Amino acid sequence: MASVAESEFTLASRRRRFSRRRLGRIAAPYVLLAPAAAVVAVVLAYPLYLLGKMSFEKYGLFELIRHKGRWIGTANYSSIFHDAEFWRVVLRTIAFTAVCVSLTMVLGTAIALLLLQVGRVMRVALTTGLVLVWAIPTIVAVDLWRWMVDFEFGVANWTLTKLQLGDFIRHDWFANPWTGFGVFTALIVWGAIPFVSITVYAGLAQVPHELLEAAAIDGARPWAAFREVTLPLLKPIFVILTSLSIIWDFQVFQQIWVMLDGRPNSDYYTMAIYAFHESFQISEYGLGAAIAVVMVMFMFAATLVYLRQMLRTGEVR
Amino acid sequence: MKVRYLAAALLVAMLAVAASTASGGTSRSHATKIVVWLMNDAQSGWPEAVALANRNFKAQHPDVDVDVQYQTWGAHLTKLDAGLAGGDAPDVIELGNSEMSKYMAAGAFKTLSQSAFPNNKTWLKGLKTSCQYNGKLYGVPYYAGARAVIYRKDQYKAAGIKSTPKSLAQFMADGRKLMKKYGKDSGYSAVYFPGKYWYFAMSFVYDYGGQIAVRKGGKWKATLNTPQALTALNQVKAVFTQLSRASKTGDEANPQQSLVFAKGKVGSFIGNGWEWPYALDEKLGNPALASSINAYPMPSHIKGRFMPTFLGGSDLAIPVTTKNQSLAADWIKAFTGTAAQSEIAKAGNIANTTKLLSFNASNPKLAPFARAAKFSWFVPTSPNWVNVENANVLQNMLVKIATGRASVKAAANSANSQITRILNTGA
Repeated sequence: MASVAESEFTLASRRRRFSRRRLGRIAAPYVLLAPAAAVVAVVLAYPLYLLGKMSFEKYGLFELIRHKGRWIGTANYSSIFHDAEFWRVVLRTIAFTAVCVSLTMVLGTAIALLLLQVGRVMRVALTTGLVLVWAIPTIVAVDLWRWMVDFEFGVANWTLTKLQLGDFIRHDWFANPWTGFGVFTALIVWGAIPFVSITVYAGLAQVPHELLEAAAIDGARPWAAFREVTLPLLKPIFVILTSLSIIWDFQVFQQIWVMLDGRPNSDYYTMAIYAFHESFQISEYGLGAAIAVVMVMFMFAATLVYLRQMLRTGEVR
Repeated sequence: MKVRYLAAALLVAMLAVAASTASGGTSRSHATKIVVWLMNDAQSGWPEAVALANRNFKAQHPDVDVDVQYQTWGAHLTKLDAGLAGGDAPDVIELGNSEMSKYMAAGAFKTLSQSAFPNNKTWLKGLKTSCQYNGKLYGVPYYAGARAVIYRKDQYKAAGIKSTPKSLAQFMADGRKLMKKYGKDSGYSAVYFPGKYWYFAMSFVYDYGGQIAVRKGGKWKATLNTPQALTALNQVKAVFTQLSRASKTGDEANPQQSLVFAKGKVGSFIGNGWEWPYALDEKLGNPALASSINAYPMPSHIKGRFMPTFLGGSDLAIPVTTKNQSLAADWIKAFTGTAAQSEIAKAGNIANTTKLLSFNASNPKLAPFARAAKFSWFVPTSPNWVNVENANVLQNMLVKIATGRASVKAAANSANSQITRILNTGA
């Protein structure tokens, strides 16, 4: 009996301790999250709130100096939605993103598959090359490319002419937006491939060899084995890489801005440049904010599709 | 328990952040430094004038340093906006005369008392006008510039050109002669004319009696689609296609046209006075060209007249955010006094005072520009004008014309509607 009384006593005190511990356990995640939440609130939520607020205001230079905008409702939005230039920019940005992302994913995966096939020396050489490309800061990379495609002294024009591919002496790649965007596509895909290749390569190394062997025994050709075995296994990686690439390529700015001396022709406006132009070049910060909000919505929509798909198929746990 | 420690640590961290931001807000008791933003033209063209002003200022205020920060034309307004928004714009800033109205209208600058500044009775009228808004003075004239044709005497002679052209038709014919003589080299330009060089291109429009925009009944109306403007733009296209092999998407500053000229494959270019000595610079240019370089005012399509040149120039202003207004004003006084202005004129510019005009006329290296300056044009005087410049409307139009991507008429119509829209925004 004594032992029972004793155990009852300890049980009660344990329950008290237990409930305190439970409280701690419930609170702990929130407390641990608090610093991160505070940082996000300061660097992301507050600026986003200001951006949203500004997109409903007349906010020009006059207002900037006085730190106070004037509420004008949805006038900024209706102004951009009725602007033919805006829709041209949107279409251009979507098309450019689609081309860049497709090329990045296809070429990046191809290089990852190549890495799996080549010998050790080549693999090290190739990986080193990829990492070096990845390590070059964007602005430096843009300046390198700018020299290469320079109208007067560029090595690209010289090489193409020497290879008898035509007369490229003093060829201006940016005179025609198609070749100009060709240069930008090459630059962006070149810069994005390392991340995709290395990530996909890491994923490929996880694909069980037996599965591929079994597929081969069942008579699957390499392409079929890739499509039926490797691709489904790596789907989560591809989904993440694709959505990240979409986000990155959709907001491309520095490459075009630096290459064209900060004065791109309107032919080269992407959404990010258009928003910057409206805000910082002609001091219509309200209009620029509205464009930026629309841009955020586009990206949100693009990533939402992928997130939903990922959650629905239950591949993310 | 750990939770409580964490919470305590978090609280301490937050307090620390709050304290550090609070201490950042305390103001200085007295200034030890003023910040001056000048454009990089001063850095390459007349560093002596800047040094002289700094010395004079330092003599007056031994314990105050001057931090001169050189800016580029492409980025300085964006930086100024950021400074105004954040409350730490420089104490003195140089602005192009066509950039002033927008900032004066928005209340970005301190008002100034004209009588406090040197030579204020003899300031160049064109520059002084650009410093005034609603009857108040917000800037001090800094310097002006006019463009003329800077050319190679030896090449003109070798191509059989006996005297400098007196009409646009002659200018074109001489250019074709140069192309015939030297044009086999695919890098040669008789007239180096990059696609975005709108200051030169718009001179044609004003020469043919056109304008960029006119104000009628309180509303601005762009006039680039008038017959006069279209004739002029077709003439511009002829120069692009027949006489120039400069980049059709490039501008006159990247690369610096005077340095391209120094490389030898250019018969002539349209430059400011300071670009003549710059082409001969020992490090960047080619001093060997000193004996074969000269200049003449760009001829009009009417024989015997000059084509109007853009009256470019700069003013100095004091942003409202400064806490050192009187120091800033003292530096401006030192930089716009007769001594520093003489240095600026010597470098190939037109000084801010008419007192120094005779100085320019008597110097053969400055006289062609001083003569060209007598016939000038200026941009529409709307506070929104600088937005047209920043939106690259004219540059985009010219690139379309130069590359042939659009007809002259289509390019002009598109620019015209954009200019009308921008100039009337918020009006």
